[in-house]
Order: sequence, then C-alpha cells, then structure tokens
Amino acid sequence: MYDFVRGPLVWVAFIIFIGGLVYQVFQFFSMTQKKEPVYAPGGGRDRQGRSAGWVNQWASFLLGKTIRGTHPVMTVVTSVFHVCLILTPIFLLAHSILFYESWGVTPWSFSESTADVMTVIVLACCAFFLFRRIFVRRVRAITTAYDYLILLIAAAPFLSGYLAYHQWFDYETMLIAHILAGEVMLIVIPFTKLGHMLFFFLYRFFIGSEYSFGQGTRTW
Amino acid sequence: MVEEEKKPVETDQIKEMLDREKPKMKRFLSYCAHCSICAESCFLYMTHDKDPQYMPSFKVIHSLGTLYKKKGNVDRDFLESIKGIIWRNCVLCRRCYCPIGVDIPRMIALARGICRSQGVCPDYGETDTKESWL
Repeated sequence: MYDFVRGPLVWVAFIIFIGGLVYQVFQFFSMTQKKEPVYAPGGGRDRQGRSAGWVNQWASFLLGKTIRGTHPVMTVVTSVFHVCLILTPIFLLAHSILFYESWGVTPWSFSESTADVMTVIVLACCAFFLFRRIFVRRVRAITTAYDYLILLIAAAPFLSGYLAYHQWFDYETMLIAHILAGEVMLIVIPFTKLGHMLFFFLYRFFIGSEYSFGQGTRTW
Repeated sequence: MVEEEKKPVETDQIKEMLDREKPKMKRFLSYCAHCSICAESCFLYMTHDKDPQYMPSFKVIHSLGTLYKKKGNVDRDFLESIKGIIWRNCVLCRRCYCPIGVDIPRMIALARGICRSQGVCPDYGETDTKESWL
C-alpha cells in the first residue's frame, strides 16, 4: 500500500493538479479579452508608465484603509495561514529526503522544529476558520457542508503529517493517511474553491476593476 | 401583469441564458470561498444592522447560485421569491469587494435578466403593498 501511494498515486495526483491548473488558466484567458488598461485608484501605472500606485497601495494597507482595517484579525490569520500552508510542504525536511531518494537532489529545507511550529500554526488557523464558520453569524449564513469538507481536506494533510511525525497512533497508517490526504488535496485544488490559490492572482491582477492590484488589462 | 403572473415560466429560455454564461458563472460560484469578507463593502448590509441577507455573497448564492443548482428548472414562485434579493437587497452599485475577485454584480445582473425574461421584475408603481423597492 505504501509503495502504491508513494509511487504511482503521487504521479496521478500531480498530473491532475498541474493539468487542472493549466486547463483553468487556459479557460481564463479564453473567457477574457484584452482591453484598455484600467487606471485603478491604488494600483497600476499612469500614462507615463510611472508606478506611483504601489506607494498608494502600501500606504492604504498600512493606514488600515483596506480590508486590514475592516478585518484586522482575519487579515493576519489568513496571511499567516497561507504562508505556512504553502511553505511547509515545500521546505519540509521529510519531503526533501523523499525528493533526494527520487531525484538525487537535496533541496533546502526548514529545521524539523520550525516545520513543526508551522504545522501547528496551520492547524490553529484551521481551527479559527472552523470557529468562524460555526459561531460568526454572517459566515454561518452562507456555510454549507461543502465548506466543512473543504476545510477538512485542507487541514487533513497537516494533521495527519503532524501525527505521523510525532508517531502518535500507528506510524505507517498515519503516514499512508498523510500521503493520501495530500494527494486528495492536490487533486481537488483546480476544481473546487481551493482553486483560489491560482485565481486570486489571475482575477486580481488581470481583470480590470477599481480593486485591481495590477493594471487590469483584461475583462470578462 | 395579471397574464404574466399566470403564465408558466419558459425553462428552456432560462436554461439557455444560464448556459450562455455557465463557464464564467460556475467558476465564480465555485471559487467563492464563503468567507463573508465582501459583507462590509455593501452599504446596504452596513445600514441594515449587518443583516446577513444583504451580504453580496448571500445574495448571489441564494439567487443565481440556486438557479444553477436547479439547472434552470424553476417556477414563477421561485423567481418571485428571489425578486427581493436581487432588486431590493442590491442596487448594482458595484461597490462590493471580493478578495478573490469574483464579479458579484455581474452575477446579480444575470439573475435580474433571467427574471425579467419571464416578466418578473419590481413594479415601482405598486400601491396595494407596503413593500418598498427604494
């Protein structure tokens, strides 16, 4: 079982993950078209190509005029969550060892204690999101079982990885659960709301609106 | 108006309108994280005691979202039930902010178009009801 999930299933997961993202990018560019640049209040460049907008954007952020002012806790938690979510699996020592065993390359990695702390941070953030879904009225109003399922899919690799690393319960079982959880997460990313990892950048940088981070040279 | 109220809806026409925009709209609905960060960007939400029914995401999920979920197989009563969501609870000011970039007003506008295609729209001249569209 371990050899199957560690071997062919990893390939399947990554092929679907990368293929799905490529397909979504292709679909995005086929569903949108180029237009004149939007001269958004906080971003982009002026007609002379000067990017004074970035100064305005950072000033707006630091002065709390963006969602940082409206949702300060959520801003911090989601930022920390996403940084740890993405960096932990990429720079995990155990994953680097697997990479070395497969490709003979040793990528740089965090120390085990650092990765451990980052994993706990991710799990704490997931608990925060779960609390929000259950107890915050406006979030509860639009929450369905699907949202809980997606949260579970996002948290499962980190929870199972933490349990496997600390050898709580049967190690091999937790390890297989961890690998499967990670593969499930990779497979569903392009096709569920977890796809916002890609679409955040496509929508906010390419689509023209007053909230564009970039010049917004495309429109639906 | 009385004839429109009695006429059944043309589900084929509704499905055609939904299918025309399906690639975009299904992606918007799919990528909505249900985070509710859009709430404070809607002045109607802020001025109605932060009632969740005025949240941009709530409005979209319970109008266009339900139309797609039902694949356009809806009746006139359903369209009448979402009339308030998409006309009273939203003025299409385009102020709504989505951290992911979902185009909420476009979705509300499509829902309005579908309702209008079946003759379901607010009657601003109604005098026999206390309901206000303003």
